[in-house]
Amino acid sequence: MRVIKDRQIVDDGWELLPADAEIPPSGDVIISVAAWNSDPLAHGERAGKVGVRLQSDELPEQIESLDRLPLIAIEFPKFADGRGYSNARLLRERFNYRGELRAVGEVLRDQLFYMARCGIDSFALKPGKDIEDALSAFEDFSVSYQAAADDERPLFRRVTR
Amino acid sequence: MYASRGEPRRRTPILKYPSLSNTQSCLMYQYDAYDQKIVEERARQFRGQVSRRLSGETTENEFKPLRLQNGLYMQLHAYMLRIAVPYGLMNSRQLRKLGHIARTYDRGYGHLTTRQNVQFNWPTLESIPKILDELAEVQMHAVQTSGNCIRNTTSDPFAGVAPDELEDPRPYCEIIRQWSTFHPEFAYLPRKFKIAVTGTPSHDRAAIRYHDIGVRIVKNAAGEHGFEIWAGGGLGRTPVIGKPIRAFIEYEHLLSYLEAILRVYNLHGRRDNKYKARIKILVNEMTPAKFTAAVEAEWLHLKDSALELTRAEIERIAKDFAPPAYETLEPVDLVGAELGKDRDYARWLKQNVQPHKVPGYKAVVLTFKEKENPPGDVSDTQFDAVADLADAFSFGHAVVTHTQNLVLRDVKVSDLPALYRRLVELDMATANYSLLTDIICCPGLDYCALANARAIPVALELNKRFDDMDYLHDIGPCSVKISGCINACGHHHIANIGILGINKQGEEAYQLTLGGHDSDSASIGRILGPAFDEAGVVDAVATVIEVYLAARSSEDETFLECYRRLGEKPFKEAVYAGD
Amino acid sequence: MATRGGTHFVISASLTDSGAPTYLALDGGWTPDLQCAAAVATEAERDALLERALREERTVCDPYFFDVRVEGGTIDPLSARERIRAAGPTTRIRRPD
Repeated sequence: MRVIKDRQIVDDGWELLPADAEIPPSGDVIISVAAWNSDPLAHGERAGKVGVRLQSDELPEQIESLDRLPLIAIEFPKFADGRGYSNARLLRERFNYRGELRAVGEVLRDQLFYMARCGIDSFALKPGKDIEDALSAFEDFSVSYQAAADDERPLFRRVTR
Repeated sequence: MYASRGEPRRRTPILKYPSLSNTQSCLMYQYDAYDQKIVEERARQFRGQVSRRLSGETTENEFKPLRLQNGLYMQLHAYMLRIAVPYGLMNSRQLRKLGHIARTYDRGYGHLTTRQNVQFNWPTLESIPKILDELAEVQMHAVQTSGNCIRNTTSDPFAGVAPDELEDPRPYCEIIRQWSTFHPEFAYLPRKFKIAVTGTPSHDRAAIRYHDIGVRIVKNAAGEHGFEIWAGGGLGRTPVIGKPIRAFIEYEHLLSYLEAILRVYNLHGRRDNKYKARIKILVNEMTPAKFTAAVEAEWLHLKDSALELTRAEIERIAKDFAPPAYETLEPVDLVGAELGKDRDYARWLKQNVQPHKVPGYKAVVLTFKEKENPPGDVSDTQFDAVADLADAFSFGHAVVTHTQNLVLRDVKVSDLPALYRRLVELDMATANYSLLTDIICCPGLDYCALANARAIPVALELNKRFDDMDYLHDIGPCSVKISGCINACGHHHIANIGILGINKQGEEAYQLTLGGHDSDSASIGRILGPAFDEAGVVDAVATVIEVYLAARSSEDETFLECYRRLGEKPFKEAVYAGD
Repeated sequence: MATRGGTHFVISASLTDSGAPTYLALDGGWTPDLQCAAAVATEAERDALLERALREERTVCDPYFFDVRVEGGTIDPLSARERIRAAGPTTRIRRPD
């Protein structure tokens, strides 16, 4: 499917599997935290990459062997459920996760700026939304006050005011 | 209860104002190019969001959370736009801009809110981007005045001039404003989030115990200033008095500590039920001790990060709040000064003229509780008039109070007669500050889509009933607050006399609560008994007051003191005597 | 049947452009005048109208129905809320001249 990755529209083959789905022998799949934790090493041996979906009521510390994961999908089950923003920052800033962080679920244009600041670098938009238009969301603001995953310094440490 | 963390590090005093003589003070925070850019870019972004809604690209369900991050509500008759007034402080240019907006885009009036903001009741969706552009011209905006995010930080309306203040809290309010503005992690919290800051050790005038986070500037044993942190207070359908979660935090850790609280709340606050989603529920369900432990654990990760405030940043912001060029004047005692000559003027001096830390100056409250005025409503011409008065008498500034009034903070005692004469002409000299008719009142069912009953007509009826100024002043301090529904925007829980509008089979009805208090000895009012209709609740308030006047131990015993001494019994018996 | 003494249902919403109350009329359009609204007696008619209203996402926001009593050709809402919504604020709009 088409996703935004590093601020470009790209096609990629990651498949988001339902929590209880059987894991296919090949292909790039995103599986539940529980499925991953059951045997992180074994997943590494299949033909195709394995990523994990972190649901909004799960916490980063529940994921085992983080550094073996090329991708973590942070789920936003509803637009208004903001736990994923904290989870993304924790993954980047506390767990030093350097793989791909993908927003999935109800992901809309007007959340992208905040998500990017929290360390999310790829975005699977809600189906039906204009992905080209969404690209412009990253330009909504050129200045931010806070420290976040994209810059550990708040504005008062970044510039002389 | 307090989570102690050893002795605070030794530090020099928190900050010193530059001396008055060589400072050109602007009296409030002035935007620099960065602040201005953020506000302008926000206006542009919202213009895009509005145009996508008008073109049909976004649905109302998708637009709702976006407009709610920008203070735009859908009310009973129209959209309502809430404009942020950080800690209530405005200059005359901003006041005139509000007058202009009221005239040009609304129906000639705005409304002072209990979060020290201003809201307009009738803008069209298409006009909102234009209003935001106009606001940006005077360093104003509507950012985060609604929605499940960090709302406008409020403070003591007398901050900076109050004689009982340890330190001016407004620089810290501004620091919190900047930190919370478009905070990327905390834009979609479980529920709205309100922070209040006070600089007074006692006589809390910012109701910090009823906020999601209350911050109080305190002095430690070593004489250094820092912050005492309260959390988990709130009104709404479950009123809760906040818990002190930390006795002292050094000033440089303010933001990291707030960020730790917000992160614990964002991750663990309930999202399954909007009525249980405020932080007060989380604090109670976890227990204050465990909540505090979770915050402290999170804070250990954040405390030494770049969030640590620098002295340079605090001084950069504090310099804008430096006091104006006060004249050196003799202290003047107003008591008895004008008594006997003009009773109305004497009452106004006694009630609406408040102490000031600088000799020869006073803070003056303009109550927007004139007899036929919906509490807190301000017309376009009144906005302009207050701007003129601020320029003439108060260094060009005024403050919105959470009691829906305006304060001229820095009036020379020698100017009081001239100011008073002008206020009388403008119908803004009612001497009822903190008296029974200084009513806090939500818009109620006249405007609000959530309300169950009207609130404004009850306030106007009470104004009529208590229009004898001798009687009103004899009653003395007594807070009356009216909410049109259980969401408690009118703060009825913390009123000495609270009125709650309810829906009884589609019809409006009113419950009476007694004994609430919003300051140091905070208490939540208790429902007296069965609900009344509109006329009935006004009669009940009158009866309650008669009981108080007959029962008070002396003229010095306030209504609240009397109620606390006697309990509800005599009031209840009198109010329901005919039943 | 409508509840608590109501005889009919009316579909209402807020106009996207102004936020003003609006009512679904018999001709399928929207009217600001409650008395021109389509008042329907059965739940099936009500649900059909509401479904139609929900499709007009650009024009109106959050359509819903409420109970009314129709007597002598006059539509009378059962709730104080809908009466005030139809008539405007009951307090004087303050604009000193």
